Amino acid sequence: MLRRRLDATGRATCDILGVLDPNADLPLVHASRHGDTTHTLEMLEALERGEPISPTRFSMSVHNAVLGVHSISRTHHRPLQALGACGDEFDAILHEAKGYLVEGHRAVVAVLSEGPLPSAYQGYTEHPGTACAVGMRLTLDRGRRLMASDPVRGAHPTPLEVMAWLNGDAPFLDGRHRWQLGAE
Amino acid sequence: MSETHDDLSIELKQLIIETLELEDVAPGDIDPDAPLFGEGLGLDSIDALELGLALQKRFGIKLDAEAEETRRHFSNLNALKALVEARRAD
Repeated sequence: MLRRRLDATGRATCDILGVLDPNADLPLVHASRHGDTTHTLEMLEALERGEPISPTRFSMSVHNAVLGVHSISRTHHRPLQALGACGDEFDAILHEAKGYLVEGHRAVVAVLSEGPLPSAYQGYTEHPGTACAVGMRLTLDRGRRLMASDPVRGAHPTPLEVMAWLNGDAPFLDGRHRWQLGAE
Repeated sequence: MSETHDDLSIELKQLIIETLELEDVAPGDIDPDAPLFGEGLGLDSIDALELGLALQKRFGIKLDAEAEETRRHFSNLNALKALVEARRAD
């Protein structure tokens, strides 16, 4: 019922969270560099015209709104973390996840997403060029190791780049660190 | 034709569905005597604010979000219709 308040990217994020955390018992991290800019811009334009803004849009304009909707609809009562990190979201996700894991949580589910960028903002910020979302379930248990080394040159990985790397299309992912996956 | 199939009832049902983006609800699904909020249609307090704004824009009706009578006006579709008939500014 609450999904109606989410855009397609928010719905995709909730779908991924539901698949990777089917029992709703893991800490969740949702990172997005820009969030739902389409609706935020609509509100700013309404204010500029002197019109009242939509209470629904206003209620959804916080960065943790998607996690909020997800936690209500799935009765998820574990820790939730919403992140925006000026392009460093991927590294931030892993730092937050490691914190939860070291505290004793057996796994953490993280989603990195970007909504569509309104035309008014194009050219003013880095953006993958399309709406996209990717999820990961992270654990300290045995499995494919995730290794960090210093990058040659820091970069701002988008969800599309994370997907390509996880698919094996790229040997490493550069963020603030260079991330590589160990053998399966 | 029953009283609940008049133009204003249909207009209000469409207003509710469009304003609150009730994707899976058709006008015929809204029982004019069933509660709009909580049980029934399952709307929440944010929907109430959104609907109040829509009534203001469409019919020029200003409501006090805190008033007990507002709660009564929003109890079901027929109550909402009675409010619009009594207070519409257009």
